[in-house]
Amino acid sequence: MSNTGQTTGATVVPLDRTASHDPNERRWKFSELLADEQMHARWEKVRKFFFLRESTYDMSNRCNIRCEGCYYFEGDKQFTRENRDPEAWRALMRAERERGITYVVLAGAEPALVPELLEVCHQEMPLGSIASNGVRHIPASVGYKIHISVWGSDETSARVRRAKRLLERQIDNYAGDERAVFVYTYTRENIAEAEAVIDRLVANDCKVTFNMFSSPVGYSGPLRHDSASLSATRCSMIELLERYPDHVLFSPYSAVAHTCAKGLHDLYRCSYPRMNPSTHIGLGRSFRQYRTDLNWDRAVACCVPDTDCPDCRHYASGSAVVTARLQRHAIDPDHFRAWLDYVDTYLAVWVMGYRKGENLQPVPVAPPGFMLSPP
Amino acid sequence: MEATAVKGDLGRIESRVAEIIIEELKLEEVTPSSFERELDLVDELGIDSMDLTAVVLVLQDEYGITIDEDDYPQLKNLRSIAEYIQDRIQ
Repeated sequence: MSNTGQTTGATVVPLDRTASHDPNERRWKFSELLADEQMHARWEKVRKFFFLRESTYDMSNRCNIRCEGCYYFEGDKQFTRENRDPEAWRALMRAERERGITYVVLAGAEPALVPELLEVCHQEMPLGSIASNGVRHIPASVGYKIHISVWGSDETSARVRRAKRLLERQIDNYAGDERAVFVYTYTRENIAEAEAVIDRLVANDCKVTFNMFSSPVGYSGPLRHDSASLSATRCSMIELLERYPDHVLFSPYSAVAHTCAKGLHDLYRCSYPRMNPSTHIGLGRSFRQYRTDLNWDRAVACCVPDTDCPDCRHYASGSAVVTARLQRHAIDPDHFRAWLDYVDTYLAVWVMGYRKGENLQPVPVAPPGFMLSPP
Repeated sequence: MEATAVKGDLGRIESRVAEIIIEELKLEEVTPSSFERELDLVDELGIDSMDLTAVVLVLQDEYGITIDEDDYPQLKNLRSIAEYIQDRIQ
């Protein structure tokens, strides 16, 4: 039998147990999986984007708010000199294109503070995304996806992010903007308020996806998840997904993958250079994380530097790490459908113009090799 | 004689692997016979991990073998893939 969860979204809890292998378990051929019309169509849809090769870039060492547990202001990257010369950025983008990069993630500290650099990047590299707090509007000419970080209600944001009326300002700036995806980051403290926040975002016709607070190295504060908060988060994610399937860009499997007791590395083996010594192929070969001075260091390169790797459940990390594990998921229809849903979600969140389809696997399944614990 | 037979098998495997790669990656400017056996798939052909995985899944079907993720670095070119397969089907 497969590792299909027998429980509903409301009752599944974080998992820890490794599944024992059943020698009688049927091994599905890939061609048998693709014989299913739905799976075949979704496979053809997502594989068109296998050409995406990402790297990430810190754009500025400044931010207009200061959040507790911010990744950027951990470690030494915050002290890096800023290169604000648009032509230097243009040259970098051209060099990146030359070495095969096709997708850029513009992040830290707050990219909206350097719109002239965003313009240059977009002129040279048409596909990408920007991680922003949404306080300042990014010009429409920058045709990247914009991920707006939401950490709870206005009251919570005032406390944790020291920003007043943050959600209101984010909505004012980006409601109706097809570039925008509001990324609700679940912390241990804001699970109960997700419902009201998502209600408000959906009422303003905003697209939403979910992220998990993943502690920076050394952080042990109140935002760090524990087993109870992981379980509650999973329930909340699935409930909101079921309530708002047209606005919430997520899947049941995404909820499972990001709320297990084990982090992404232990479940899937992270392929970013920081955790992956191989330079043969994939992220270990091509991924770089540039700092504001346009230098990079393979030893620390990952999508969310200075995250405590065992606690990493970050949505950006999962988008690459889970997606890369196609082979592990092509083992039976449930897991393959779950993987297709995950990739379909990731593309809808990260690629301009990509439209998410209906989830094919409505029942949560465990990551390959693991089991969902009984309720 | 035995070596010839093995070499012949390897050649057939190489041709079939070439067909699969051409079909999966939708390559237009190469045929199974013109596909250089030692062309580096990553460095010279530019294929990435997702493309390689798609090819691996089809190869597993075709030959009834399991290719471990950790073995991907061994799949450098047509010849090394064919040898890898030959080792597992003999």
